[in-house]
Amino acid sequence: MSPPGPRIAMAVLGKDLLLDLRTRERLGHMAVFAALVVVLLGLTLPTSRAARSDWIPALLWIVFLFTSLLGLSRSFQAETEEGAVAMLIQAPCDRGWVFLGKAAANLIALFGIQLWTALLFGIFLDVDWGPALPAALGVAFLGAAGLSALGSLLSAMSMFVRFRDFLFPILLFPLVLPLLVFASRMTATALEGGAISGLAWSALALYDWIFGCIGYFVFDYVLED
Amino acid sequence: METDLVPLLRNTLAGIIGVVLLAWFVSDEDRAIRSTRVTGPLSLILGVLWLGMVVFYAPIEKVQGIVQKIFYVHVPCVPAAYLGFLFTAVGGIGYLRTHKLSWDRVAQSSAEVGVLFCTLILLSGPIWAKPIWGHWWVWDLRLTSILVLWFIYVAYLFLRGLAFGSDTARTFAAIYGIVGTAGIPFVYYAIDIVQGSTLHPENPARAGLPPEMAWTLIVGILAFLVFYFYLTAQRLEIARVEEQVRRTLMAEQA
Repeated sequence: MSPPGPRIAMAVLGKDLLLDLRTRERLGHMAVFAALVVVLLGLTLPTSRAARSDWIPALLWIVFLFTSLLGLSRSFQAETEEGAVAMLIQAPCDRGWVFLGKAAANLIALFGIQLWTALLFGIFLDVDWGPALPAALGVAFLGAAGLSALGSLLSAMSMFVRFRDFLFPILLFPLVLPLLVFASRMTATALEGGAISGLAWSALALYDWIFGCIGYFVFDYVLED
Repeated sequence: METDLVPLLRNTLAGIIGVVLLAWFVSDEDRAIRSTRVTGPLSLILGVLWLGMVVFYAPIEKVQGIVQKIFYVHVPCVPAAYLGFLFTAVGGIGYLRTHKLSWDRVAQSSAEVGVLFCTLILLSGPIWAKPIWGHWWVWDLRLTSILVLWFIYVAYLFLRGLAFGSDTARTFAAIYGIVGTAGIPFVYYAIDIVQGSTLHPENPARAGLPPEMAWTLIVGILAFLVFYFYLTAQRLEIARVEEQVRRTLMAEQA
């Protein structure tokens, strides 16, 4: 491993975070979109709290998935628009590090959006996070990590393809299905006050780890052309 | 004939044929394409034999009746579909390592034929399920995992279609083929958590079928596997001709 790798990953991470904070475009759009969907849900779901409580974990993760889609698909847009990809390719290290930097920046953005969505669910849909909070935060973090690992890789790939807005979700959804199942089940358990099994935690962590590794190793080929 | 000999025989036979044909296929594209001279007539013979056995030889199941015969279409599609997806990943890895176009053609052809058999599984299943379970669809482990698999490989074909013919397309398709294969165990496990138990009939290898049914199934699986290789080799040839046409056109333009 060439030594400048971690430094370049940090530089990519720092640059993306700075871009997100300065322009506020990506985060702003995601935040407003999530709020809109939650309002739609508030108006269309049954009004009694009991009737809708069973749906909450699944809806939370589906709202989160769709919101993330907006952010992830933009993750590489800035690079292509300004011709920055050429610079990234010339980075003097294994390009896997560029992927790790990108994925980390997406993780931070998505985790922030995840917290925001959870807050909206608390306010508009009357979800009581109180005792479930530590476990739910852990699930949210691991879920956001898996989504940013897979999403960063696939969004980089769909950048160079026609109809990318159409293709990206079709590539992403079947592969994040396991993540969505694990995460929504675990969130449900946390909300019911139960203990999440070690097996479930490890399944989610393993998912993140495997797709993180694949992204790291194949990113060289993605930026090759 | 002992009934537990049937699955053993079937698995060994399928395994040997699979490995031999696998080696044959990937080692030389010309040979793979020439193999259609054998696999074409052979799949016709096996197909006719299989159909005859389904209609005249295999008994009508006592409880389920005539509907059970869909089983002889449904089950033989499964190994063919999995083989298709296996080859897609193998071809993808081969292409990333060597950048040889023939590997990419293996991946593409296998994915298309795999999706075809996967579609047949998804179509034949509900026709059986409606009269037996009373539902077209249940969110069962086997049904859902095959459905998700279908989505993954249809996405793979979309990716190929939208980035037609370039090196980028081939590389990305190879990556997605690998990522898709890595996702399959998670898909299984995730659906397993949701559903817990399965409604789906047990693997026929363990279910102890009467010999008439077992033999019909074995012939069916063989017929479909040979047909799988025939279709894939045909598709390989088409892909190669496409590539030649593209090259000729480019040479003329230059």
